[in-house]
Amino acid sequence: MTVTDTAAATASPGTSTVTVASLARDWAERAPGQVAMREKQFGIWRERTWHDVWTEVDEAANALLALGVEVGDRVSIHAEDRPEWIILDLATVAVRGITVGLYPTNPTAEVEYTLADSGTVIHLAEDEEQVDKVLEIDRTRVPAVRTVIFVEPRGLVGATDDRLMLWDNFLELGRTYKQQHPDAVAQRMAAAQPDDVMTLVYTSGTTGPPKGAMLTNANAAFCIDIVVNSEDRVPGGPPTHKDLIVTYLPLCHVAERIFSTWTHVSTGAVLNFAESIEVVNANLREVQPTIFFAVPRIWEKLHAAALIKSSDASRFKRAVLGVGLALGRRIGRIKVAHGGNHTLESRILYAIGWVIVFRAMRERLGLRRCRYAGSGAAPIAPEVLEFFIGLGVPVYELYGMTENSAIATANFVGRMKLGTVGEPHPGIGFRIDEETGEIQTRHAGVFAGYWGKPDKTAETMTDDGWLRTGDVGEWVDGTHVRIVDRIKDIIITAGGKNISPSEIENSLKTSPYIREAMVIGDGRPFLSALIGIEFDTVGNWALRRGIPYTTYRDLSEKEEVVELIEGAVRETNEKFARVENVRKFRLIPKELDHEDGELTATQKLKRSSMMKMFSELVDSMYR
Amino acid sequence: MFLRPNLYTSYEAETHIFPTWTKKVLAALSIAVLFLMPFSLPVINQLPLIRFLGDSSWLRVMSTAFIFAIAALGLNILTGLAGQISLGHAFFMGVGAYTGAVVGGQETASVLGWGFPIWVWLPAAGIVAAAVGLIIAPVAVRLRGLYLAIVTLGLVFIGIHMSNTSWGRRIAGDPGLGRDFPNYDVRIWREEEPLVSLSTASQWLWFDVTAGQKRFLFLAALMVVFAVVAKNIARSRTGRALQAIRDRDIAAEVMGVNEFRYKLIAFGISSFFAGVAGALYAGLAGKMPATQFSLFLSIEFIAILLIGGIGTVTGVLMGTFFVELSPKMVEEFTRWLSQRTDEAGAIGIFADLLLSSGPGDFGPISIATQTPGWPLNVFDWNIVLYGVLIIVFLIFEPLGLFGIWIKFRNYWKRWPFSY
Repeated sequence: MTVTDTAAATASPGTSTVTVASLARDWAERAPGQVAMREKQFGIWRERTWHDVWTEVDEAANALLALGVEVGDRVSIHAEDRPEWIILDLATVAVRGITVGLYPTNPTAEVEYTLADSGTVIHLAEDEEQVDKVLEIDRTRVPAVRTVIFVEPRGLVGATDDRLMLWDNFLELGRTYKQQHPDAVAQRMAAAQPDDVMTLVYTSGTTGPPKGAMLTNANAAFCIDIVVNSEDRVPGGPPTHKDLIVTYLPLCHVAERIFSTWTHVSTGAVLNFAESIEVVNANLREVQPTIFFAVPRIWEKLHAAALIKSSDASRFKRAVLGVGLALGRRIGRIKVAHGGNHTLESRILYAIGWVIVFRAMRERLGLRRCRYAGSGAAPIAPEVLEFFIGLGVPVYELYGMTENSAIATANFVGRMKLGTVGEPHPGIGFRIDEETGEIQTRHAGVFAGYWGKPDKTAETMTDDGWLRTGDVGEWVDGTHVRIVDRIKDIIITAGGKNISPSEIENSLKTSPYIREAMVIGDGRPFLSALIGIEFDTVGNWALRRGIPYTTYRDLSEKEEVVELIEGAVRETNEKFARVENVRKFRLIPKELDHEDGELTATQKLKRSSMMKMFSELVDSMYR
Repeated sequence: MFLRPNLYTSYEAETHIFPTWTKKVLAALSIAVLFLMPFSLPVINQLPLIRFLGDSSWLRVMSTAFIFAIAALGLNILTGLAGQISLGHAFFMGVGAYTGAVVGGQETASVLGWGFPIWVWLPAAGIVAAAVGLIIAPVAVRLRGLYLAIVTLGLVFIGIHMSNTSWGRRIAGDPGLGRDFPNYDVRIWREEEPLVSLSTASQWLWFDVTAGQKRFLFLAALMVVFAVVAKNIARSRTGRALQAIRDRDIAAEVMGVNEFRYKLIAFGISSFFAGVAGALYAGLAGKMPATQFSLFLSIEFIAILLIGGIGTVTGVLMGTFFVELSPKMVEEFTRWLSQRTDEAGAIGIFADLLLSSGPGDFGPISIATQTPGWPLNVFDWNIVLYGVLIIVFLIFEPLGLFGIWIKFRNYWKRWPFSY
């Protein structure tokens, strides 16, 4: 307890700026024994209380000071989601440093780019895999990196690089430093300014190299005010310390940062770290979070898994599931038509469905106790959302981007409109440019600019100081906003027709058999598509039909599979106008991957490199 | 964790016997029903299957089943957890029975007996049996599978043979009639009047209880205690070590499990359970010859484990009650049918087809008093049934009754999917 006591005693009351670090410290003072985090180790969810967390943050902050981190110095973190990620993040903010997050999937070249671009001085690489990436980089290219902290010593015993330091030794260093300078961290925290940059969030970079968006303490505070603690965004009121969150998406992405770190420190909600993205389903089932955020890819996967498992069920179960899913669809339609509210009919149907299917299915999906679910960071097909709404999972689509601290629009309780990203948050500057249709925002959450790229910053701001999001939107019923597409992605066919590819792509992706779809047609006579199959589900489908296959490529090339996908394409075509129909498609012979440059770290398609990579396939469609 | 049964925040929570409130309540309820069973209480005696327990012959069958459950739980630790097949369980029960008899029985001209009270002879029976088990274990530890079965089989014959020697008769009494065993009366020391008499009817609080009901309660309580002990052993470090040895002894040793030591422990615990059960069994019977502790008794326990579900406490309890109660059920059913052979209608025809009252009558089950050979009488049918059940379970449901329960449970647990 001595740790928090000293910190509290020396913090100058009232005057200090609210930072994520000060919020965490407040929790440690107010509720030291309350559970803050859970991390699964050897099958057990080990708990850390707020006292434990703050003690570790304080030690890490002292260690950063011991390592000579000055105000505004960059500290980068290259790790899967784990408590150390957030602890080092908070410690960095506490000493007025700047946190830089890297995606665990970042290959060496991108690590080098990020480290060099940000000028990182301290780098955390969680294990041997990530340490190797740093050690591969020529030292002269990242001269600023002084210390590389690693958390898991396995495979690194006897490593000789003089920059390496074990996490435990790092904390030990902090403890020693604290004995000599007991007030150093508290003083730094007290001196924090609202316009201190707290983090660089590197944009995913679908075009060109990633840019580091600078977010300040004031941005974060505004976001916490507007998004996290919004009164009518979450059914049953804003998150509290009784809520459970599963942290599984990369923490360097702004969405997960808001939903995990910022929600955590501002509301005290308990963070449960998933073991990895592969076993997140099992983790969800154990934790049964009350608040859950997922990107469309995850929702699509959950949806596909539910459908595939349904079709694999035994005969009686399949019959019951058929009834349940039909009820779900009906309930989904009713609720969607009523802004997300129940009507008497849907309530009755839900009661029946709950007994026979919904309760069990939600339990299996890990969404039984979920009182709020969010979808964002990319567009999603309405059908997928409707499926979950029908099951009784209250999914709301949100919209925002790194550059405005993800503050733009959200669907509010009782006023939800499917297919839109909701209404602008109250009290923010939000407009749709009349000429271009571009969405623009202006509020306290708008970032401080791109790190070291004033020209790029200038490009994203209008002359009158609004942030250009690069997304084309339109008003629905004058209150809600529908996102048409990225400006750059809009297809103008040879016939001169403007088409938004993402809608067609998302509709294609509602098929459980399709993982990736890229619609092509810019300057072409008709639309075509490159489609990547979902290996698991198509494999399962082939297995049941007795179609032998070996690899992903082999499976993609099977005639039966092409026919299967053709069916899905036909279904999608029925929903769209003739000009928007996909006339031809080709199956991609490999699984798309971040490391091969086809996807960004957030699993978004890099269209230009896709076009380059699969140019022959594309050409073959227009020959 | 409340509302989140799969969120384990400590190993203690994960190894809890009753992890959820539902299970706690169910366990409390079943124990309550167990202890209320022997009484003709207003509500309980209306429940089907339980109603009959007012009858003393059922009380006796149930009491025997409790004793067998204790013995079977012991064998389960050796065979179910540690994977060591033993056919010598009857021998250890015998050791317990005669230790109890010598320590707690009355001395007569032909047999030994020191007349100690139950709190001495019952633990002594377990301890001596465990000691004998530990002496034999080092030999058995070196053997596996069939060889171990043969060696332990030998114990049964050695035991019966020893009871026939001149000094053996001082302990076991006449080979044909046996000797008297101490009853369950609780005494402080060797005084004449027992502190609590379990062999006569009396009034407890406001209830009149018969000797049968008292024994039922006493044995039921003992069984619950032993079941909890067995469950705790299974989920302890020892239990995990034994299961590791069962699954792969070499792998277990590589992990740091001392195979010799844990096999010894398994033999010791298993024999302790057997010894206590043996003494109780003999005490309930009052008088029995040493030949009761024969190979057939050992096989009965193997059957209990196989039918119930090897390796689990619940399975063993299910198996015990199934094996011990079904002969009585078949008997009762046959009696019920025999009263209906003359009735008109489907039941009458069915009963007539099934039963045979003498030569010339058609039917596989004989209800005539003396009928060697075909048609078989009820007791023979029970033995046939028993054999058939073992075969059926081995082939179709190696996990026993418990396995059927697991399948049933998983079907609903996986709802609405199949995996």
